[in-house]
Amino acid sequence: MNFSKKTIVLDAIENAIAGGESIVIATLISSGQLNHLTLGAKILVPKSSEVNGSFGDQKVDELVISAARELHDSQPRINVGTAYLNAEKQLHFRIGKSTNSDAEIMFQLWEQPLRLIVVGGGHVGLAVATLGDFLGFSVTVIDDRDDFANRDRFPMADEVRCGNVGVEIDALQIDNTSHFVLVSRGHLQDELALRTALGKGAGYIGMIGSKRRTKTVIDHLSEEGYSSDELAGVSTPIGLSIGAETPEEIALSVMAEIIMLRRGAFGERLSS
Amino acid sequence: MTAEIFAEIREAISQGEPRVLATVANTRGSTPRKSGAVMLLRPDGTFMGTIGGGCGESEVWQDAMDTMADGIPRLTVVDLTEPIDGDDKICGGVMEIFVERVVD
Repeated sequence: MNFSKKTIVLDAIENAIAGGESIVIATLISSGQLNHLTLGAKILVPKSSEVNGSFGDQKVDELVISAARELHDSQPRINVGTAYLNAEKQLHFRIGKSTNSDAEIMFQLWEQPLRLIVVGGGHVGLAVATLGDFLGFSVTVIDDRDDFANRDRFPMADEVRCGNVGVEIDALQIDNTSHFVLVSRGHLQDELALRTALGKGAGYIGMIGSKRRTKTVIDHLSEEGYSSDELAGVSTPIGLSIGAETPEEIALSVMAEIIMLRRGAFGERLSS
Repeated sequence: MTAEIFAEIREAISQGEPRVLATVANTRGSTPRKSGAVMLLRPDGTFMGTIGGGCGESEVWQDAMDTMADGIPRLTVVDLTEPIDGDDKICGGVMEIFVERVVD
């Protein structure tokens, strides 16, 4: 398959960005010593539907398809990566192990933009939604009070849902591109939201509150039978330690944590 | 930017005009743009998008014009670690840019 032949590549990418099936596109960007491969050829590997395209070598295609499938589930997310293929047809992602004679394959993962689901439309919710939108997230806001869950207050949101937070969360399609930020008006609301959000495969769930308050919520859910693994994955108290005090600073701390986890980083000072 | 570039590719397909897409495939060290950044080149040499301001863009542009002419994809290595006279090279990394004709 070649980009120029048809609009299949473009169609697949635009479909994925619009919320359709995500797709990994592998492109042979250098043939190295493997001259029989077709430079510039593409293999399209959708999340579950049929693969399309070939580099001109069945064994290589199989390796590439299998690597593409792993990228679909990668956490932290890798949206663009280069793999190296040596003359023995071994595929790896480590540039340090690569040589000039290796073929190079560019992998691009296309999917719907990351989604931020803000439960609670108060001061912190507003700051998180604003910063999330600025960072390129598609923002959903949920609150059961119509004074807070409305378009005038949240013009930057893609979606504002007013209603019982449990019901509204249940109505969403959740996957690992979904990031929950639970910042509602009280721990009962947060607990309801957390109970509903758990076990749906979200990429991130963070809940605001002091150590003591959040521990109470986690203990409740533990007694209800949620596994400790599942509960340990909840980021609570939420955010990175930057001494945040204002709602805007808290939003910065929360979004910094989300980005750090997504990119597989550790949050230390670059100068340290 | 990606959406605008895709729209222009579709338009070019319908007009039967060629376009060349340059994509940053990988980077090492400090580079002006990260992997996935794109630049779309038109037959008259104008382009949309950027793969990195002054830092190496002219090398990519030349390769892209060659690909526009012969249709052969290229992998351009831009090395920003070697200073050139009169240029501060504040970037200091290496990037590989894949150049392909996306409309014949």
